[in-house]
Amino acid sequence: MYVTAKVDEPKCIGCKLCIFACPDPNVFTFVKDKKKVIVNPARCKGCGLCVSVCPKDALVIGNV
Amino acid sequence: MSKPMLKMTTAFADVMPAEYVELVQNGPFGKGYGVADLGSFKELIEEHPLCAGCGLALAVRLIMASLPTPEDTVVVGSTGCSSLAFPQIALQNIHSLFGNQNAVASGLKRALKLRFPDKHKDVLVVAGDGATADIGLDMVMHSWFRGEKLATIMLDNEAYANTGGQESGMSPEGCVLNMAPTGKKFKKIALPEIARESGCAYVASVTPVQPRKLEKAVRRAILVAREVGPTYVQIFVPCPTNFKFKPQETLAKAKQKEKDQTYPLREFITPEAQAYLAALEGGGKHD
Repeated sequence: MYVTAKVDEPKCIGCKLCIFACPDPNVFTFVKDKKKVIVNPARCKGCGLCVSVCPKDALVIGNV
Repeated sequence: MSKPMLKMTTAFADVMPAEYVELVQNGPFGKGYGVADLGSFKELIEEHPLCAGCGLALAVRLIMASLPTPEDTVVVGSTGCSSLAFPQIALQNIHSLFGNQNAVASGLKRALKLRFPDKHKDVLVVAGDGATADIGLDMVMHSWFRGEKLATIMLDNEAYANTGGQESGMSPEGCVLNMAPTGKKFKKIALPEIARESGCAYVASVTPVQPRKLEKAVRRAILVAREVGPTYVQIFVPCPTNFKFKPQETLAKAKQKEKDQTYPLREFITPEAQAYLAALEGGGKHD
């Protein structure tokens, strides 16, 4: 079973805490003009560290 | 590595790997990016085989983002979990024998000083706790005694995580691991204090819970090592695989240890290093 992080876009406030908590490189990209993050599911290992730091519960770990 | 080397022959652009093209177009070389810019540039580290939720991988990622001049940095690594990450890093990198990392780096630093007398070439030693505090302790300490201008970074996961979980000198007292079923009998080595007494100009112990603090410590260590003397940074990186906790609890474990003082965060700076840093940071050049 492959799992990945998913962003609930309306909840994301662009604080970038998930980017500083993710152990894998280039998983999160910060979109400057929308001030939100997007996930690259091919690189995500689904560890859940980003979910544990998100202050707005905008991230979930789910099946691909 | 010189900056022209990072350019691509346009005729070959279509056959180059996508990651390489991205690194050339959107990489951090020569742009002065820091940890705060993560997410908006292509990172130096690529997909690595370390476990999900690995604190060490997070620390390596933050170290790579906080290098002041990545194009003039050479990383010397050693055997351990960290050596699984270094082949995926877009920097010049030497893998040394287990424990020899500071001896290799000393020679490298001297050679670079002769070859590039008018340029700062940073030699960064990044190794695990087994390579720094157990097997390579004499090489590490003698490089400090000799005053070699190296930045030594220890990724302290408190065990030999790569080989199935043997106890290391940095494991806490009473720690039970897969290959240490009776628990550790003696205390954790106080390496920051040893480093301070052995002649390091800058010593810090940090955790990846506070990325800005980690960045500051790594930057200060590299800058002080350019002019003043040896430096040492110890980073606590919890290991979910050997310490049997869930991968999403890595940062919570580090935070808890920071809070109950079982992993005290320290910073020692000599007066010369303090004056040097004040001149640099006051001028607004870094940080």
